Amino acid sequence: MAEHATLWRPRGAWDLYAQAGRHGRREGPAGVTVTPREGLALMSVTAVDGAEDRLAAAIRDRLSLSLPEPGAALFSGETGLIWSGPGQWLALAPARGDLDGLGAAVTALAAVADQSDGRAVLRLSGPDARRVLEKGVSVDLHPRRFGPGRTAVTSVAHIGVQLWQRDDGPTYEIAVARSFAGSLWSWLEEAAAEFGCEMRAGG
Amino acid sequence: MRIRCPYCGERDNGEFSYLGDAAPVRPDGMEASAEAMHDYVYLRDNRAGEIRELWYHGAGCRAWLVVTRDTRTHAIGEVAPARDIAKARAVTPAGSASHA
Repeated sequence: MAEHATLWRPRGAWDLYAQAGRHGRREGPAGVTVTPREGLALMSVTAVDGAEDRLAAAIRDRLSLSLPEPGAALFSGETGLIWSGPGQWLALAPARGDLDGLGAAVTALAAVADQSDGRAVLRLSGPDARRVLEKGVSVDLHPRRFGPGRTAVTSVAHIGVQLWQRDDGPTYEIAVARSFAGSLWSWLEEAAAEFGCEMRAGG
Repeated sequence: MRIRCPYCGERDNGEFSYLGDAAPVRPDGMEASAEAMHDYVYLRDNRAGEIRELWYHGAGCRAWLVVTRDTRTHAIGEVAPARDIAKARAVTPAGSASHA
């Protein structure tokens, strides 16, 4: 039995689909750089009706972040809270286990569900990152309407996604249900081909 | 056609699903007459003009919305979260709950 156990390995959400290296246009620098965000801690937080103020206080104690308003994402380093619906947020931290105990910290104030294995996240950066995303979403990503600290729940090629902007490089991150990672990658690879796409190794 | 979601901002109508007239309120099933239930389930006005109707932002924030739309022009007016309207309806002016 122990022999079989050694055959099981954790596998990154993008490993089967997105090969590291250059995709699409080969000439010149890559217009978009894609980094799989593996090993994140992700938790969905849904407030109990009427408990948002107390939840905000408990979250501030635990994560030192306020509950973001609709359409907003707040980060402190690599730890963040991202609005994802009325009374709903996605908590994100850089390493698996970083958010352990969050549910206990907000007992009776919110329902907390671990999404670390449920969502797959990519980071997109580079001069053409916005142009690539604009091919897929019907949300205005121009800096006059969207920027660092903004998020949108929407769809790309009929795939439900949540995206948020980290900085005005611009750097974006896009989260998708893990079972749709292959579908999203097949869209992204095509959409980014004209700009040249550098896929980094997971990290 | 675009709908200005009160949570997400202006979005393509493809992100939404349509339910219909927001006015009918389900009668108390145990007390209501057959006529009242029939009216609630089947009978709808087909107005030319402004109508308040329920839309679901399924590809976005997953909130139910009450959208005011002009059926002649498809012009979208006020858009409000359905939960706010339901909560306001559940409380009578005297402040006591009238619906479970």
